[in-house]
Amino acid sequence: MALNLKILPQSSFGLAGYWGLQESVTIPFYNYESNASNYFDIKDWGVSLQYGAEFSGSVNSSLYLLAMAKKLGNHSLSARFTPGYQKEFLFATGESIIINDTTTQSLEANYNYRELFGLGYSYKFDEQFSAGLAVRFYSQDFNREIVKPIYGDTLYLVRESINEKVNLLNADVGINYIVNKNFQLRAASINLFNIEDEITNEEFLGFEMDQKRGALLTASYMPADFFNFHILYETSNSFQLSATGYAEGITYGLTAFHDYYQEPYIAGVVPAVGYRTDLFEVLLSGVKYFSERSTDASFSKFYEEGINNIINNRYSFDKIVLSMALNISSAPEKQVELIDVEIVRDIYPTFYDKYVEQPFAYGRVVNISNKPVSVIPSVKIEGITDDQIQSPPLNLAPGDTAKVPFYLIIPDNYVIDKAVLSYADFYVTASSNEPDAQLQKAALINSINSWDGNVANLRYFIKRDIDFSMNYAKNVLGNNKAVLDTLPSVISIFYKSEILFNDFVKKLVYTSDPRATAEYVQFPKQTNELKGGDCDDLSVAYSSLLESVGIQTALVDYKGDGDIRHVNVLVNTKLSPSQAKFITNNDSKYFIRKNEQGKDEIWIPIETTSLTNFDEAWNIGVEKFNREALIEMGLATGKVEIIDVY
Amino acid sequence: MKTFLILLLLVPSIIAQEFKAVNVKGSVQYRSGTSEVWAEVKEGAALRSDDFVTTGAKSSVQIKNSNNIINLEEFTAVSISSIKTMSTDDLLLALAMEDMINAPKPNGKNNSSSTAVYGNKEGQGKNPDLKADDFGIKRLNGAIQLAENGFKESAVVFAKETYRKYPDLKQIPSYRIFFADILYEKGLYEESLGEYMYIAKLDLSKEEKSKVESQIQSINKILLNN
Repeated sequence: MALNLKILPQSSFGLAGYWGLQESVTIPFYNYESNASNYFDIKDWGVSLQYGAEFSGSVNSSLYLLAMAKKLGNHSLSARFTPGYQKEFLFATGESIIINDTTTQSLEANYNYRELFGLGYSYKFDEQFSAGLAVRFYSQDFNREIVKPIYGDTLYLVRESINEKVNLLNADVGINYIVNKNFQLRAASINLFNIEDEITNEEFLGFEMDQKRGALLTASYMPADFFNFHILYETSNSFQLSATGYAEGITYGLTAFHDYYQEPYIAGVVPAVGYRTDLFEVLLSGVKYFSERSTDASFSKFYEEGINNIINNRYSFDKIVLSMALNISSAPEKQVELIDVEIVRDIYPTFYDKYVEQPFAYGRVVNISNKPVSVIPSVKIEGITDDQIQSPPLNLAPGDTAKVPFYLIIPDNYVIDKAVLSYADFYVTASSNEPDAQLQKAALINSINSWDGNVANLRYFIKRDIDFSMNYAKNVLGNNKAVLDTLPSVISIFYKSEILFNDFVKKLVYTSDPRATAEYVQFPKQTNELKGGDCDDLSVAYSSLLESVGIQTALVDYKGDGDIRHVNVLVNTKLSPSQAKFITNNDSKYFIRKNEQGKDEIWIPIETTSLTNFDEAWNIGVEKFNREALIEMGLATGKVEIIDVY
Repeated sequence: MKTFLILLLLVPSIIAQEFKAVNVKGSVQYRSGTSEVWAEVKEGAALRSDDFVTTGAKSSVQIKNSNNIINLEEFTAVSISSIKTMSTDDLLLALAMEDMINAPKPNGKNNSSSTAVYGNKEGQGKNPDLKADDFGIKRLNGAIQLAENGFKESAVVFAKETYRKYPDLKQIPSYRIFFADILYEKGLYEESLGEYMYIAKLDLSKEEKSKVESQIQSINKILLNN
């Protein structure tokens, strides 16, 4: 017997009747029927159930659905148990058996179609696009009474049941695309993948659920913040029209459906009203059919037409359904949104503490909650930091947008030989441990020898290699201990400066930047190994040597015109003006700076590129400083700048 | 200082100066650049901008070029580069430079020291340790010579540099009053008030005290009316 029965697994019909608003498109009851993409908007855990009754003469109540969902970042998982999604048919087979020669009993058949449970997964690619799949498991139980002859001394006829259980797995995929604030599209397959047990008993052939493939497309339009229209079309030529609203916690909706396999044209409606908060939702909905429903029907009609949906078919009755959903989120409500981030400074690893004082990026954050929040910006850069580096918190009023700085700490032992393009993850967190929002941006990490051309930042190169400089300087000074011990302590700094210059700088050669750019600076150890460098490298090396033994230095930035710049070193002799005579009789060869305590101290300029001897370097340094910094008033005009190393 | 940013645009044009020493009398010496040695200035000798000229007792010299001329009397010292005409704006720039030279304060504010000075030719004043042939005193005398020869702004700058290198000279009121008066005369009231307030704390003669108080009152009135 080969029937042409069309008992299809679920298509788009749902019992909730409330489709959600654009901005929270969640269908919290995990309605895979119209949302194969599984896109939902819970924060952490979601649990829901649907309990209802069907008015089929008597009132038959049952638990339709029990579902659970979990969100893991951009991944969404859900599972549902659907004990109420079933339809049972009892038939008279047309055969009968006379028992004990007196009683005639008709034989029956019982076919039960059930959806047992479903699993869903979806992935949110970005704020607009998500995709997923839903897998559902069905069971078809076929039971039929037959008359079986028993041959022996006498022929007996006995009534016997044959039965078979046929399992069906059905998988569909879907996508969800939010075009803009007002418009959303959703598309899904119907019966895309089907795996079914093979029926072994020919009595049941043709009664299994059909697996006709198709698709559905949903378009949602939200003309106002509180109202949404939906239209859903199936390739079977069925469709649904829905209007959904939300105001002050009250949800309401009305869905009208046209079922290709049912009469009249609009086969029925699904009204719904409910109440929802961020924590839970309660919804009372019902299904009202516009055609007469009967508990009895012709087998021949069933034989010819079959049914097309387990819970919505011509044998379905009006229903009332109570749906409840609970958001068991351990994650707090999102309170702030990170709109955009701008990286304002390239990352130079040698400037390890610079980004503690000066933000390397700024973000725009908006408070989307209705209360003031304290926002903590933080950043993590692949390759530099293992943990998120937090910036100071910022208070934000409800609805306000603010510019927040992102600070960075680079480990002082961080080494990178070549510039790399990395990624910076920016986070904003409000009142919890988990970030409310995050953004990723590409960030250029320069090599440790890279320099931004700002002379003030040369001090980082001076400090970084200070251990080498200290060992070197102490060794040199130790070798000159006999000379230094004979000198008055008041001029020891001056002579130490001279000894170190003559030992270290004097043996070097001036070479232009090896990479022919102004953005490469050698550490003192490299300058020593390479035995040369340009003015940046030599000034860094000499300053580092002096600083390592406690001699205060400053850099002089001669900005010049255009790209021509120069750097040399100032040394604080710690001599008072009246002690100048210990080092020179020419009062043009030094100048006076007040220290932090207001005390006058003698400083001398040293031209480190003059690699002859200390006196010559001093004289050249003085001439340049007096001319460009003082006489031409470069210090006042900004063409010359003194930058203290510490 | 409000006017500072504006004044940054008014960078002075420094023109190389070729000077010649004439009418050399007595002991007149010069020192070039970073040299540690003084040499005798001969009649008609050319002087470079990085030279320093000093005169001894009963000595004098006239230094001139095509545009400028200055007479240096006994016990004076000037740098050739300071013999130049400066505008008041240039002077303000030079005064602003004071802050930029000093090491930064922990709170980020530099301590601007006094700028104007004055003195009489003897210079000993109330400080018995200073002598007329001290080089610092000679420099202050040179600054006065600059002012008296019409280079008043330049004189203040030169005096200021001298005070930085010879801070003990700040205790001599007469020199300081002289240079404070120049600031006042140039309309730099806030700068001159700072000077007079500092001078008022020194050990002043009756006349000096009267003058300083009078100047302070006068400046306060001007500043109040502005």
